[in-house]
Amino acid sequence: MNKRLLLLAAPLWILIAGITAAPPAWPEFLVQITRGQDTAIPIAIVPFAVPPGASTFDVAGLVGHDLDGSGRFKSMDRKDMIGQPHTGAEIAFDDWRRLNSDYILVGRLARPAPNAYDIVYELYNVLTRQRLLGYQIHTDSAGLRLASHQIADMVYQSITGIRGAFATHIAYVSVLGHVPHRTYQLVVADADGANPHVVMQSSQPLMSPAWSPHGRRIAYVSFEDHLPSIYVQYLKTGARRRVSATAGVNQAPAWSPDGKRLAVTLSDRAGNLDIYILDLATGALTRVTHDPGIDTEAQWSNDGRSLYFTSDRDGGPQIFQKSLGAGGRPRRLTFDGSYNARPRLSPDESQLALVTREHGDYRIATLDLKHGAGMRVLTKGRFDVSPSFAPNGAEIIYATRSAGRGVLALVSTDGRVQQTLMSTVGEVQEPAWGPFQGND
Amino acid sequence: MPRFVQENARPAFMSIALHGLIVAALILAADFSMRKPQAEDQPLPVTATVVDSRIVRAALTAKQDAARAAAQQQAAKQLQAEKQIQAQKELEAEKQREAQQQRELAQQREAQQQLQARQQLEAQQQREVQKQREVAQQLEARQQHVAREHQRVLEAQAAAAAAKRAAATAAAKRALQAAAAKRLAAAKRAAAAQADLRRQIAAEEHAQQVASGPLADQYRAALQNRIMHAWIKPAAARAGIDCLVEVTQVPGGEVTNARVTKCNGDDAVRQSIENAVYRASPLPEPPDPSLFDRKLVLEFKPDE
Repeated sequence: MNKRLLLLAAPLWILIAGITAAPPAWPEFLVQITRGQDTAIPIAIVPFAVPPGASTFDVAGLVGHDLDGSGRFKSMDRKDMIGQPHTGAEIAFDDWRRLNSDYILVGRLARPAPNAYDIVYELYNVLTRQRLLGYQIHTDSAGLRLASHQIADMVYQSITGIRGAFATHIAYVSVLGHVPHRTYQLVVADADGANPHVVMQSSQPLMSPAWSPHGRRIAYVSFEDHLPSIYVQYLKTGARRRVSATAGVNQAPAWSPDGKRLAVTLSDRAGNLDIYILDLATGALTRVTHDPGIDTEAQWSNDGRSLYFTSDRDGGPQIFQKSLGAGGRPRRLTFDGSYNARPRLSPDESQLALVTREHGDYRIATLDLKHGAGMRVLTKGRFDVSPSFAPNGAEIIYATRSAGRGVLALVSTDGRVQQTLMSTVGEVQEPAWGPFQGND
Repeated sequence: MPRFVQENARPAFMSIALHGLIVAALILAADFSMRKPQAEDQPLPVTATVVDSRIVRAALTAKQDAARAAAQQQAAKQLQAEKQIQAQKELEAEKQREAQQQRELAQQREAQQQLQARQQLEAQQQREVQKQREVAQQLEARQQHVAREHQRVLEAQAAAAAAKRAAATAAAKRALQAAAAKRLAAAKRAAAAQADLRRQIAAEEHAQQVASGPLADQYRAALQNRIMHAWIKPAAARAGIDCLVEVTQVPGGEVTNARVTKCNGDDAVRQSIENAVYRASPLPEPPDPSLFDRKLVLEFKPDE
């Protein structure tokens, strides 16, 4: 019977085969996804279990604060949580999925000694139920804050693929008091503004702090002798050295990638500002720009073979790039607007952050260096200046004004999230984001 | 009797030996009793001499005394001997009694055995008789059975012959009917096969039409829309990224598996894509059921 059916069917099958061809192992019905959302990733950060009598420091709270602040995450409100698991085994994945949480971070503190803490934490993908992280950090009560930032770094990297920069530091200048009793402070703090330490204090202006490539030294301009000089100071010991005190202007130091040279802006006798390279070991100066206009605010390329800088040689300030060693004219990079200044290079060298003027307001923008996509304005303030990239390139810190006071603010490099760091005191200026820890 | 001896060889030997010993002892004892008196019984020699009467008397008296003593002695000896003989006789009698007893006992045993043997023989004979009787009965029964069977076979043969004649006609009839039914069924099957095939072709054609028609576009758009809204695009998912994800869904659209196969993105990109598919679950249902496939392939290819 089957044979007969086959015989009967054969010519028809040939016909059908002609139409459909062989059925593929996977269907040809293919759906293409070309766009996605720029929304924050939902994550549940469950309060960590704490042994009785231990520090009340809220590790999970700080991790959530870090992640939320990055703009890439939206941590779940604690009052919406359906339980408080502290280990992976306690997680009811279906419940957390119903709460639309893509990820969940759980953890617990143990106190093996009166001032010693072991923080154990685990990160899970709720949708796939995979464990992404499972680590233990040993610290003391003073280290709980840093440990929390480190946990945030790990979570951030595990989910976004980008190294977290929450456990890094920033430097900035804070001005206290009023003329004639002003105090200028050079402050180093955690990336979120917490833990501020004054590393230098003066009654005269301090300006332009710049981190050395490994973060052990800071170069800055000090007017402590009533004339500007450039100093290099070791953060650990406080030991410092005046490296440039030529007559006239000494400003805008920038570290070469090898940490052996500084690009600085000096003035000649006519008061013309040009960029020079200062060899820190020998004190030798090499002139880079030769232009009657102002050339300043240098920034090294990652290979150390060219400089980005601000110049008003074409009229208003614009960003230029000049190769070192070879001659030739600097290349102008910005053409939008009449004011573009203070270039800062992203860690992957794909873009510059800069200050641009828009309708009379100063704002932070990025300039695409790779695809010629032009400039993109990220902020909407009236006086947003002094941008500095986080070492992971995901955020830019800058100075702005809030309620009549100079404060620091963060904007994600994609412009999606902005937040203000209100924890600083005084009139805050010129933030500089330090490199990753452990790069020393 | 010899069997009895054989069976009781040891006691018999002992008995014979004992008898032998007793006889030997008797012979010895008789010898002693016979010899000693022989020496004593010898008459004392008498020598007549002239002697004083007193002396004679005395001698006579002494002689008489001696004779008396000797007589007494003799009597005592005889008594002794008689006693011995008597004891011997008694012992002998005792032995004879015992032997007699033994013999009687043996006889009794033999009689008993003979009785038992006889009884056994009789029982055996009875059993054999019984057996023969039974065999005879069985034989008879078998013969009766065979007879009955034979009768039955004869009857059955007769009945079968009759039935056969009837069946032959019925079978002929049935064969005709079956042939007709078979032809009908074959025709029906062929028709059904044709119909199936037509339906299949129609379904294929429908699916083809749907798959390349506006309904498919509608379904594709619905899937795109749902998944694009579910995809939180990581920074690394820029233009140039091209990733395939194999999706398994069940009717109703629930995603049971999502697996990125070919992908030039990093782990974060892969994870975001798998998460997007799970987040989009349940997937929209197709506007035409023929469009539903448990397996879907999605291509994530950001245009910026």
